[in-house]
Amino acid sequence: MKKLISLLLLFTFGLSSCEKDDICDANTPTTPRLVITFYDISNPTKTRNVSNLKVIGDGMEQGIVFNESLAEDDSLRYVTSGSTVSIPLKVNDTISTFKFINNSLNTTSINTDVIKFRYTTQNVYVSRACGFKTIFQLKNVLPFVQTDPDGDTLWMTEIDLVNPNIESENETHIKVYF
Amino acid sequence: MRHTLKFISSLSLLFSMFLGYAQDVPEISKNKDTTTTEKPQTEKTVKTAKPEIQEAPKDSVVKTDRYGLRVGVDLYKLTRGLYDKDYKGVEFVGDWRLTKKYYLAAELGYEDKTTEDDRLTSSANGTYIKAGFDYNFYQNWLDMENLITIGMRGGFSSFSQELHSYKIYNPNPYWGELPPIAADQKYSGLTAAWIEVALGLKAQVLKNLFLGFGVQLKLLASNKEPNNFENLYIPGFNRTYDGSFGIGFNYTVSYFIPIYKKKTMASETAKKEEPKKKK
Repeated sequence: MKKLISLLLLFTFGLSSCEKDDICDANTPTTPRLVITFYDISNPTKTRNVSNLKVIGDGMEQGIVFNESLAEDDSLRYVTSGSTVSIPLKVNDTISTFKFINNSLNTTSINTDVIKFRYTTQNVYVSRACGFKTIFQLKNVLPFVQTDPDGDTLWMTEIDLVNPNIESENETHIKVYF
Repeated sequence: MRHTLKFISSLSLLFSMFLGYAQDVPEISKNKDTTTTEKPQTEKTVKTAKPEIQEAPKDSVVKTDRYGLRVGVDLYKLTRGLYDKDYKGVEFVGDWRLTKKYYLAAELGYEDKTTEDDRLTSSANGTYIKAGFDYNFYQNWLDMENLITIGMRGGFSSFSQELHSYKIYNPNPYWGELPPIAADQKYSGLTAAWIEVALGLKAQVLKNLFLGFGVQLKLLASNKEPNNFENLYIPGFNRTYDGSFGIGFNYTVSYFIPIYKKKTMASETAKKEEPKKKK
């Protein structure tokens, strides 16, 4: 009997090691980014690739990383030439401002537009392992404000709000024509 | 879940050992003259052999079974509060012997537990009650009164949860990682109900004083969850997992209050040589 009881004791201590095996699965939808898709102004149904677009948040030194496989000092790490970009908004603020620098690697045709996004946030429970996520809703009045700091023309000719509710990254929230 | 499965399988292994011990006991019973098969038997054949056992009430010994109420307390919950500042709890256990092998059993408890997960700090506190029955499948030798039981319980808990702080999960922390956000949100009026399978062991260490150990596998049947949060810990049910399973255990010390006695023939119970285990 004693042998059994000591076995049971041992067993119970093994049991306490069962906890803490939660890791947030990378496939779980958590805080989404703002998805912008670029279209051709002369053929509005067709997407158009930007060229070496760099996006820098206001007050940040480095741009948003688009090529994570590249080294940190590689300038290509921070540029994209696709037709869609995903922008992380500030979760603890209601305004996020970004510089969108097209042709950022070409000193002659470089063009910077600034967009200020205005939104409200909501924190939504996900799970024990993931905690909460933040979802965003772009404001009805002035969801974004576009300015041109360097005085050349705006390279983004038209900006359309498609979906003000930023709850997942599976859809485009903003369409940009240029 | 992997751990839970491992747990269950080692548990069954462990309890199959008890069966082995149970077989040893009748060896010592008196009528060694009766002929029995000498070949070792498995647990299953032992069970089927039971009816035959009762066919040979030759030299019967009168045995007295004591009936009454056993009350006790869970030592684990009681002592955990001493070394774990995030836990306070108590559980009272009781059972009433209904028949030779069946016991009505119930547990009543209170728990207050704070859980610090990587991204959430929350606490739950409330009371619970569990009621059901135990079946003692241990065959005692003569006047011993030990128990190895399997039983069922229905459990119900009324509790509240408090979310103290949380972190936002952001896979793209371009603007930097944020510190945990203080919430201090209280969710009251929560309830949960579950059923459990309880395996238990109680050994009489002194006259009428029992030490016990039990494990319970639980299945959540209903769970009233708060809005924009989740029941991470339910008093009595313990930690919740993705599915509706849960586990629990207790160490009890209990006192048996004898109320009346019944005489039975010992031959009805632990007679018969069971197969001798050759080691």
